[in-house]
Amino acid sequence: MTLTPLTRPLSAEDAAHFLRRTAFGATDAQIRALVGKDARTAAREALAFDQKTAPGNPFDPMQGAGPGPMLQLTRGAWLFELVYGPHPLREKLALTWSNHFVIGTDKVRNVHALAGYLGLLRRHAATTSFERFTLEVAQAPAMLRYLDNDQNRRGKPNENFSRELLELFTTGIGQYSEDDVREGARALTGWTFEGGRGNQNYLEPSRFVFNERQHDPGRKTYLGQSGELRGEDIIRLAATHPQTATFVSRKLHRAFLADTPDTAAVQGSAETWRRTNGNVRAVLEELLSSEAFYASRARIIRSPVEYVVGALRTLGQPKMDAKALLNLTQTAGRMGQVLLQPENVKGWDGGREWINDTTLLLRLQLAAALTLGSKAPPLTAAPSALALTGLERPPSAAATLKLNPQQATYLHLISPEFQLA
Amino acid sequence: MTNRRDFLKLSALAAAATTGMPGFLARAAAQAAGSKTLVVIQLTGGNDGLNTLVPYSNGAYYAARPTIAIPKKDVLTLTPDLGMHPAMRPLMGLWDGGRMAWMENVGYPNPNRSHFASMAIWHTADPSQAQSDGWIGRLAESIGDPFCASNIGAATPQALRASEFSLPSIDTVDNFQLKLPQGLGGAFGDMLDAARSGEAAFLTQATRQMMKNTARVQANAQKYRAGATYPEGRFAAQLRDTARLIAAGVGQRVLYVSLGGFDTHAGQRAEQDELLGTLASGLAAFHADLERQGLAENVVVMGFSEFGRRVAENGSAGTDHGKGSVMFALGSGVRGGVHGSSPDLEDLSDGDIKYRQDFRGVYAEALSGWLGLNAREILNGDFRGPGWLA
Repeated sequence: MTLTPLTRPLSAEDAAHFLRRTAFGATDAQIRALVGKDARTAAREALAFDQKTAPGNPFDPMQGAGPGPMLQLTRGAWLFELVYGPHPLREKLALTWSNHFVIGTDKVRNVHALAGYLGLLRRHAATTSFERFTLEVAQAPAMLRYLDNDQNRRGKPNENFSRELLELFTTGIGQYSEDDVREGARALTGWTFEGGRGNQNYLEPSRFVFNERQHDPGRKTYLGQSGELRGEDIIRLAATHPQTATFVSRKLHRAFLADTPDTAAVQGSAETWRRTNGNVRAVLEELLSSEAFYASRARIIRSPVEYVVGALRTLGQPKMDAKALLNLTQTAGRMGQVLLQPENVKGWDGGREWINDTTLLLRLQLAAALTLGSKAPPLTAAPSALALTGLERPPSAAATLKLNPQQATYLHLISPEFQLA
Repeated sequence: MTNRRDFLKLSALAAAATTGMPGFLARAAAQAAGSKTLVVIQLTGGNDGLNTLVPYSNGAYYAARPTIAIPKKDVLTLTPDLGMHPAMRPLMGLWDGGRMAWMENVGYPNPNRSHFASMAIWHTADPSQAQSDGWIGRLAESIGDPFCASNIGAATPQALRASEFSLPSIDTVDNFQLKLPQGLGGAFGDMLDAARSGEAAFLTQATRQMMKNTARVQANAQKYRAGATYPEGRFAAQLRDTARLIAAGVGQRVLYVSLGGFDTHAGQRAEQDELLGTLASGLAAFHADLERQGLAENVVVMGFSEFGRRVAENGSAGTDHGKGSVMFALGSGVRGGVHGSSPDLEDLSDGDIKYRQDFRGVYAEALSGWLGLNAREILNGDFRGPGWLA
C-alpha cells in the first residue's frame, strides 16, 4: 500500500506546514506563494534542486590555521548554507543523512575528507539509488577513517564499519547475525584511503584506494549469500536488503512526519522504496505530497540546528556577521547538536531527547538575542503568527496582543508551537 | 503497572503545581529523603575492563594482547593477580584507604555487542529490552520527585527517563537560571497557560518544570566553595558541579555524569590511557573536595560501561566490542577490595569473557543498601550483588 496523495489545493496552514518541514520555516511571502498549489507540484518543485550554493559564504575551511579552526570554519560554512542557501530541502536532507551515515569530527579532522563527505550528502540528498549512495559513503575517506575500515586488513579484521553498516546504515538490528558482521568485515578488507592522515596534514587531500594485498579474497557467507564476496557485494546485499527499505524509510518519516512514526505509513514508503529499488527521490516525492504528511502537524520537536535556522529563515534571512554565525553553531552545540559531530555513531536520537532544563534555557536565551538583544537583526515588521507557529490562531496569540513586534516575535519563538514542526 | 502510572501522573502534577505537593506525596518524598547520594559514572563506548583492572599474573592475557597489554612492571598492584592501569594512579590513595571497590566479571544474559542496545540494557536494567524508561527514572517515580535525580551534562541519558517526566539535565550550575527579559514575565505566563495537547503539552510541562528546578538550584548553589583543585576539562568541571549540587543540599539522591570516547577499535593504548587518566584525576579531586566539605561519608560513586572489549586485540592495536567488564565504586561507604572472581581467559564465549555477576545485583545493592529504596520494585526482580557496600 503506497501513501494516499493529498488532493486539495494547499491552504495557508498547509503551505506553512510544508515549508516548516522542508525549508526550516519561511516568510509570509514565501508561504503565500505556495497557497493554492497542488501538493505534488509543491513537492516536485522543492525536490528539483541543483548543486548551487549560497553566494558570499564568508567561511573557507582551507583558511583554518589548524585542525580546530578548520572544523569551526567547516561548521560555519554549513550553517551559512543552511540559513542563506537557495535549496533548504537539499540542506535539510543533508542534515538528515549526516544523522544516518554518521561520521564525527573527533576522528575526521581533514578538510577534504569533510568537504567530500558533505558534498556526497548533498549530491545524493534525494538520491535515485540508495545502493550507489551507500557505496560512495563506504568509500569516502571520512567514513573509512571514522569507523576504522582503513585499518581492516586480511587476517586482522576490524569489524567497526561492518557492524554499523548493518546495525545503523541499512537493515537495522535483528536482521543479521554476528557471523554476518565478521564475514562482512572480511569482505571489506583492503578498503582504505591514502593522504590526509594525522593532525599535521589536515589540509592534504585524501582518496579511497583498494589495497588488493590486504584483501581477503576467500569464500564468505553474508546475509544468506555465499561466494568470494568483495566489498561491493557486501554493500549491495546490505543496501538492497528488504528490511533496509523499512529501516531507512522510518528515518525519513522521523525527519519529515513525526518523532514517533506511524508504522503503517512507514510500510507504505518502504513498499515504494522496494518497488523503485531504493529510489529515495520517488519515496520523498510521494511522502511530501501525501495526506499523512499534511495530517501530521506539530509532531516533530525541532532540533537545535532546525531551531536556529528556522528562526533566521522565518525572520527573512537577516544579514548576520560571520562571528555571530560562528557563535550560533556553538550555541546549537551547547543545545546538543554540533554539526558533523553527533555524540556517537547512532546519531542524535532527537524528539524529546532535545528537551531538558538546560536546552530550554538556551532556547529562551537565543530567542531573546535574536529579537531583543542589542545585536539583534533589525525587524521592521514582525513575521505573522502563521509564519512563526504554522497556525493562523496559535494558543499564544492572546499573550502577544499587548507586545511590540520584537517582543511578540520573541514570545512566539519560545512557544511550544515554534519549537515544533 | 497501573498503580505506578497513576501515582506518576499525580507526581508530575504535583511538580507542576505551585501550591505544593498533595499530602501523601509529601510523605512519600519525606520517607525517601535521606542524606545519602549516589553518583553514577558512565564510561561511554565500551571501556576495556581487562586493561583497566589488569590480570597481570595471567599468561593468557599477555598472549591475547601482544601489542596493547599493560606490562606487569607498569601495573599498579592491588592483589597478587590484579592491578590497576597506571593512568589510574590518582586513585591509589582511595584504594589504600579501603574506599575503592572493583566488581569483577559484570554483565547480563545474552550480551549484545551493539553499543546502543547494550547501553539501553544498562539504562533500563532490562536485558529483554522491553522497557523504555530508565532505572533512575523509576527510582524517581518511587520517590515521587522529578528533581531527586539529575544528569550533569547536556543530554539526558535513557537511565533518567520516566514514563511521564524526564529528569533534569544540568549542563553547568552557573548557567542553570531563568532570566526573562524585563516586562515579559506576565506574557510568558499567559503563553504557557494556553491549553495544549500532544508534544506542545509536553513542551509546556517541560518549561514549567525547568522554572521550578532552576529556582531550586539557584536558591542554594551559592553556598559552595570548592575544597580541592580540579583538573582541566569538561569531565572534571562536571564533577565539580556535582560536588556543588551535593554541597548545596538541593535534594538530589542520584547524580549522573558521563565520560565518552572508550570505543577503542584502533590505537587503544593512547586513547584509553588518556581517558582513564581523566577519569582517575577527576574522581580523586571530587573525593578530596567532598572530604573538605565534610560530605564524603554521604556519597558513593559507582561506575560502569556498556560492555568490555574482546579479549584478543585486533589488527589495529585496538579491540572490538566484547561482553562483560568491570565496575568500580568509591567512597567511605564501600567495602574496599575486589569483589567476585576474575574471568577465565581460557574459557571464552566467541572470544569474550563469560560474565558471572549480573549488573542488576550491583544496582540492587546501591538502591537498597545505600539509598534505602525498594530495589525489587525498581528493578522488577530480585538480584544478588557481590556485597560491595560496607
